[in-house]
Amino acid sequence: MFDYHALAPELILGVTLLAVLAVDLVLPDRLKYLAGVTALVGMVAAVFPLLTMAFCDSIAGCVDGGTRSMFGGSYVVDDFALVLKALFLVSGVVSLLLSVGYLESDDYYQGEFYFLILASVTGAVVMASARDLITIFIGLELVSAPAFLLAGWRKGDLRGNEASLKFFLTGVLATAVMLFGMSLVYGLTGEITFAGIASQSAALDLGPEPAFVMGVVFVLIGFAFKVSAVPFHFWAPDTYQGAPIPVAAYLSVGSKAAGFVGLLVICYQAFAAVPEVWGPILWILAAASMTVGNLGALKQTNIVRLLGYSSIAHGGFILVPFAMAASYDSVGLSDAFFGSITYLLIYAFMNLGAFAVVIVGAAKAKSGEIADWAGMARYAPATAGLLAMFFFALAGIPPLAGWFAKFVMFRSVIGVFESGWAIAIAVIAAVNAVIALYYYARIVKSVYMDDVPIAVPQAEAAAIRTAPSLVLAIAITAAVVVVVGFFPQVLAFFGEAARGF
Amino acid sequence: MQFTDWIADARNIVFLVIALAMVGAAVMVVTSRNVIHAALMLVVALAGSAALFLMLGAEFVAWTMVLVYIGAVVVLFLFGIMITRAPTKADPVRLDHKHRWPALLVALGTFAAMATVTTLAFEDAALPDGVARAGDIGDVLFDRFVIPFEVVSFVLLAALIGGIVLARKDPE
Repeated sequence: MFDYHALAPELILGVTLLAVLAVDLVLPDRLKYLAGVTALVGMVAAVFPLLTMAFCDSIAGCVDGGTRSMFGGSYVVDDFALVLKALFLVSGVVSLLLSVGYLESDDYYQGEFYFLILASVTGAVVMASARDLITIFIGLELVSAPAFLLAGWRKGDLRGNEASLKFFLTGVLATAVMLFGMSLVYGLTGEITFAGIASQSAALDLGPEPAFVMGVVFVLIGFAFKVSAVPFHFWAPDTYQGAPIPVAAYLSVGSKAAGFVGLLVICYQAFAAVPEVWGPILWILAAASMTVGNLGALKQTNIVRLLGYSSIAHGGFILVPFAMAASYDSVGLSDAFFGSITYLLIYAFMNLGAFAVVIVGAAKAKSGEIADWAGMARYAPATAGLLAMFFFALAGIPPLAGWFAKFVMFRSVIGVFESGWAIAIAVIAAVNAVIALYYYARIVKSVYMDDVPIAVPQAEAAAIRTAPSLVLAIAITAAVVVVVGFFPQVLAFFGEAARGF
Repeated sequence: MQFTDWIADARNIVFLVIALAMVGAAVMVVTSRNVIHAALMLVVALAGSAALFLMLGAEFVAWTMVLVYIGAVVVLFLFGIMITRAPTKADPVRLDHKHRWPALLVALGTFAAMATVTTLAFEDAALPDGVARAGDIGDVLFDRFVIPFEVVSFVLLAALIGGIVLARKDPE
């Protein structure tokens, strides 16, 4: 007997997927946005069972299943899964809000676009509960396969084709490597669930076994590609720049968060017995991602590309709490987990907001080049103000949400400060935070202080109206960024719920 | 184990023949200048891997290889070549790249590492009794692994729909 309450979000999403296709089939061209509305309604509806499960105690007639473990431990809906499912659904909703106005303005295929975004979000929702190798792998495929296609949605555009093809080829290679790693892990432990792998690898003392180490490394490489951690980041800036901007926003938040969740859960649960294997690898990935991402961002002239590099750098920050995992006890590990997940939650809202403002700005300045954005505050003061807000949030300036993300990240490394490696990663992170501030502030300065380029028709740009869905998306993300900045305990509460796992 | 002992077992001779045929076919896939020949060589390589699965007693996987990879994937390649009217004659330019030597080095290094590590780990491990019958696989698929099974269908649906959009010629 299935626990239908626990599976309700997935069932709702599955039905909505089919509904979007059916609705798209009967709609005339000018009403295609209704397919997007259908997808939106489905995602919002899928949040409700999450709430009823989270607050099961206070609802009459609700059977509290505790951690709802199904299919022999392969599929678990605990507090951690609930928080992340909510994150994926909200970032999916915001990405859809970004897309509706954007797609209307050009002749894109709309219904299929919404279908693919929804399919990718469904994959992420499945991943949050997946606790065995097969489920997490297939969930990850459902996240990535639509993303490959969405990246190439601008069919006539050469950059769009390059974006899609590059993303597809590197992604498929990463998948193959990861799958081979998984087969080694399965072959040596004979177990498919994370709990089984952890207990078997401890019982058989597989830590020094070369084949097991190779399996772990291959699995990590696969996920590192998905989260575009350096040195597996080459596809990210090109793909973000070539893809439609809402897709870039989704890639940098939704599918990236899904990759992180997979990576952290697999390290934390399946490979719990061998932190000495994956700890140093995550250290290198974190340090390299922060440094290369930020140095790359310094010399970018295109704003989407810059956000691409900055999201690589933020990926590094997210990994920092886990970098010292090898020397943690179980309390330290759960602190690290708390740090990474809180950073991920806050980053998702900051980055979606930044992309939303970039969509508005790119429509007004008719360009994604930073030079063309100079002096935007003269003709679009609201856009410029929001841009400054989200960029300073990403840089980590109080009282905007970013400071709290950086704070929990540093706090979780400081716990093991006696180790030279911990000091090293903390110093690298601090230096990188400063570099990041420089390039974010440079754009804000240019928007406020530089002269408007002659080519930009100011009166015309000021008259461009922003789609209501886009305004709503900016309002949601801006509210979260401000509220969390002042009252960090709101999101910390979610992070805390995830820690219990 | 001595090579003479090893070769005395008839099963090892069968394995050797199949493996050599697979390696030869795989090399031809990459070196052949004619794209049709490459696809047909791929059939040989895949059939070889199906045969290896049969030798291990995994009939279901073996027949899946034949049905899905040979029957569907390679045939789709051939259809694709036919429909897009790609040149079916030998390609005048060899597929080559200026980084061929570093690439070869990386490939050989990866092969050596993987071969050593897997041989060391699994050399004389006995085959465990697992799910082998197609019926057992069906039971597991619709019970324990029903979620990934359903999710796969969405992956395919998404790939199909997105593929149509990208491949379709836009009406102007």
